[in-house]
Amino acid sequence: MENEIAKANVSWLAPVFVLFGLLLLASHSNELLKQTVIGPGSSADLGFAADCREDELEEEQLSLEECQLMVSNVRIILSSSPQWFRPYQLILSSMGVAATLFSLVTAFGLINRQRPPLRLAIVSIAMLLIVDVAGFVAALNTGPLLRAQYLWPLLLWICIHLCMLVAVIRFGQQDEMDS
Amino acid sequence: MPELEESVEHKSQSLPRLVVLLHWLLASSIFFLFVSSWWMLSLPLPSAEFTYRELPFQLHKNIGITLFAAVITMAAMRVRSLLREASSSQGWLQRLAVWDHILLYTLLTVCCLSGYMSSSYSGWTTTLWWLVDIPSMSAENDDLNILFSEVHLWSCWALLGLLLLHIGAAIYHGIGNDGAIDKMFRLR
Repeated sequence: MENEIAKANVSWLAPVFVLFGLLLLASHSNELLKQTVIGPGSSADLGFAADCREDELEEEQLSLEECQLMVSNVRIILSSSPQWFRPYQLILSSMGVAATLFSLVTAFGLINRQRPPLRLAIVSIAMLLIVDVAGFVAALNTGPLLRAQYLWPLLLWICIHLCMLVAVIRFGQQDEMDS
Repeated sequence: MPELEESVEHKSQSLPRLVVLLHWLLASSIFFLFVSSWWMLSLPLPSAEFTYRELPFQLHKNIGITLFAAVITMAAMRVRSLLREASSSQGWLQRLAVWDHILLYTLLTVCCLSGYMSSSYSGWTTTLWWLVDIPSMSAENDDLNILFSEVHLWSCWALLGLLLLHIGAAIYHGIGNDGAIDKMFRLR
């Protein structure tokens, strides 16, 4: 009976893990895209003025000020990023994508299995947590403008992954006791 | 014998492998498209100097076109079972589930088509995965571009709302451990 309850509990974790996994995959992929597109030496970095044509502004429903600030937004990223930040983020988000895919595969194994792969799940979530912490530490060492962008979402992810890790460890202990 | 009954029951509940794969391909693509589109629209407007939007927009369109093909394939594979479920469903929860799926397919189709139409009337070219040129519907037309952009925007917001309902329902079944979501987690 207890084993059945534990199995049911592990099963409901699967859709929750997959949901967070898909969101994290989107987040890391977007970071990868962001770092690919915004590089040092690009037009915003070279000081070109924003090209805000009236027809484009109307099409995008933007004010002239907003259009000019879009260039400033890129400048903020470029000027707050230390030299090491872009290559570091490119590697970290690639690792994040790989770790997330791995965690998604293990999450699929949690649903209504006789022996859910709890140890594998612990490893995969620990990997996600390491990536989060590495990202957090990196953001901590940038300027205040980047810290404001990165730290809060990263703290949320650390909390989410910590909850997931603790849940899987607890179910793992229960599972071992039952068997 | 109970084992045989169980396997027969499981088989009748299972979905074709392709449908399961497409479901998760769609799920991951949709989340990425939402996140990346919110970010890419904050990039400087395109000009001869500012080309920041080029890659994200091409990628957005490429994923969108691929997603459209996946939606059509998936809908074609599931249309019969969905119609059967719609006619035989009892209880509001079951009916809601059927309509949620039908609406999801419809909104996904509208999102993809309106995105293509908007891009088509914007005058920008689309090269599918940087290999095949996708023909435009007609010459540049600002009014139609704005119209289809609006349709794209609002259908995507509606899709997001419906997705939240879909996710909520999946977690509801997951917590109940009633086996309803198992078929989407198995490749057999």
